[in-house]
Amino acid sequence: MSDLMTAPATTTAGVELIGVRKTFGSTVALEHLDLRIEPGELVCLLGPSGCGKTTALRLLAGFEQPDAGTITIGGKDITTVPPRRRGFGMVFQDYSLFPHLTARANIAYGLRVRRTDAATITRTVDELLEVTRLAEHADKFPHQLSGGQKQRVALARAIATRPGLLLLDEPLSALDAQVREHLRDEIRRIQRELGVTTVLVTHDQGEAMAIADRVAVMNTGRMEQIATPRELYRRPATAFVAGFVGTVNRVRARRGPDGSWWVLGVPVEVVGDLAATDAADDRLAVVRPEQVEVSPAPAGARVVALSFLGAVTRLTLDHPDEGPLLADVLSESSDALRVGEHVQVAVRPGAGAVVLA
Amino acid sequence: MTGRLGRSGRWVFLVLLGLYFLVPQLAMARFAFQNVPVVLLGPDTFFSKWSFDALGQALAEPALWQATGVSAVLAVLTVALTLVLLVPPTIYVEVRAPRLRPWLSAATLVPWVIPPIALVVGVAATFRAVAPGFLASTASLVPFYAVWALPFTYRALDAGLRAINARTLVEAATSLGSSTAGAVVRVLLPNLTASLVAAGGLTTALVLGEFAFASLLLKQTLPTYLVDFQRSQARAGMALALAVMVLTALALAAVVRLLRRRGLGTTTLGL
Repeated sequence: MSDLMTAPATTTAGVELIGVRKTFGSTVALEHLDLRIEPGELVCLLGPSGCGKTTALRLLAGFEQPDAGTITIGGKDITTVPPRRRGFGMVFQDYSLFPHLTARANIAYGLRVRRTDAATITRTVDELLEVTRLAEHADKFPHQLSGGQKQRVALARAIATRPGLLLLDEPLSALDAQVREHLRDEIRRIQRELGVTTVLVTHDQGEAMAIADRVAVMNTGRMEQIATPRELYRRPATAFVAGFVGTVNRVRARRGPDGSWWVLGVPVEVVGDLAATDAADDRLAVVRPEQVEVSPAPAGARVVALSFLGAVTRLTLDHPDEGPLLADVLSESSDALRVGEHVQVAVRPGAGAVVLA
Repeated sequence: MTGRLGRSGRWVFLVLLGLYFLVPQLAMARFAFQNVPVVLLGPDTFFSKWSFDALGQALAEPALWQATGVSAVLAVLTVALTLVLLVPPTIYVEVRAPRLRPWLSAATLVPWVIPPIALVVGVAATFRAVAPGFLASTASLVPFYAVWALPFTYRALDAGLRAINARTLVEAATSLGSSTAGAVVRVLLPNLTASLVAAGGLTTALVLGEFAFASLLLKQTLPTYLVDFQRSQARAGMALALAVMVLTALALAAVVRLLRRRGLGTTTLGL
């Protein structure tokens, strides 16, 4: 393997945002953001549009200045350092390749600016063309490349200078589904091989869950939760997180006489920011379709629709107390079910915790 | 428009509009290029005695070439001055302060609100006191033309910057280690050549056709020469005027074609 890919990642380092606040006029883009990213880690900033994730990325890149707070890399304060002195690589949503330069010259740009000697430039660019599988397109101009190829040139250009931090702003959103999935895995592979600390902004929870070491879910300028994809899915901190990463049902939760919570007639383990402190006896709980268990019964919830998804079948139910309800059950166990039949609904034992809303 | 006017209505409109432009030019051409007394230029003489003698006669005048030379120099100087004046602020506004764009756009339109006579009188009054020699030189037309060309130049540049997404390109270049100035020189300008050529072409056409300033300031440029020449030699003057018009139109068409090839339609120019 080439020395580019095997050289120790000496420049890569942890990144920290401490109490960062950013407003645009009267709009608060980031209220108060604390975020710590470990060296070599890939963190996704996930959230709906307007949640502040892009602002956070632009602050990291240095294109915006925070109103308050500190940004450090490897413990060094870089809050006021201009973008060109940060030495970060950035991949833009619309690629932003230089239209007048070939793929090769685009990738070489950062090295040229740094006055790297010609031999090193040629060697590095050739390696990157190899790594990103662009060798045969090296001398094409951006308008001659497909979307996926452009994005790979953008990635190669961003990592050519061995950046201490790689920033990716919705890098896949302009591509069609198949290319997107392939390129997502490419980004992950290259990021792992380089060991470069990476922040990727996306609004696509599937993308975030598939690629990230940890996912930071943001909402209205605040961090809702930062956790590994598994933890985020299984133990969401808030109802917003639960709703954003996957499909959910909202059903009533009641406190039993011993203080435990009951959902759909079953005692459950609850998590989330309300679980510990809340004194109320009546709440909403967020239950995922695969946590719902059904069994044939003469009365109870009525099956409104069945959609076969392969291994599982998604049932749309009409529950007498809870209203519409989704349940994902193993297809083999639901083969006998028909629309209009009745089922008994419960939270499946051992299906994990539910979050209070 | 289509709905209310209908297909036939649209054709009638286009034909009328075409006639409105073509008939005077046809009249000019017949007057200039037919060796027929004016009173006899009816439908029956349409095909008789066409000749380019009048144009040859006009082109033989040395004063024509002198005036053309003056106009050409003025055009070059004006293009240079407008670009020097306008490229930096337009780039700055697009890249750093997009919210100022409406203001800059409005500012570049101001020259068209002020009539040339008011501009000349105002500037003359100012300079006669400050620098009396300024208006004596033919080059004193350059600043007037530069101001007059602002709307064209600005729109061509602005359209070009927007088409290449200048702001993100500069961000990309700075994240790769370029200074902002370096990004402008290495990335923006090479991608703006089409716009710069368009701006230059439009400005040149404007200078070659401008009469009011030159006449008010008593300078001999191509347009003022044309008017003078026409007074003494009506037919030759008309032939020359027609030739200049056709050449200017061809030059503009070439500019538009160049822009199309670069993916910049005329509509994006805001003209």
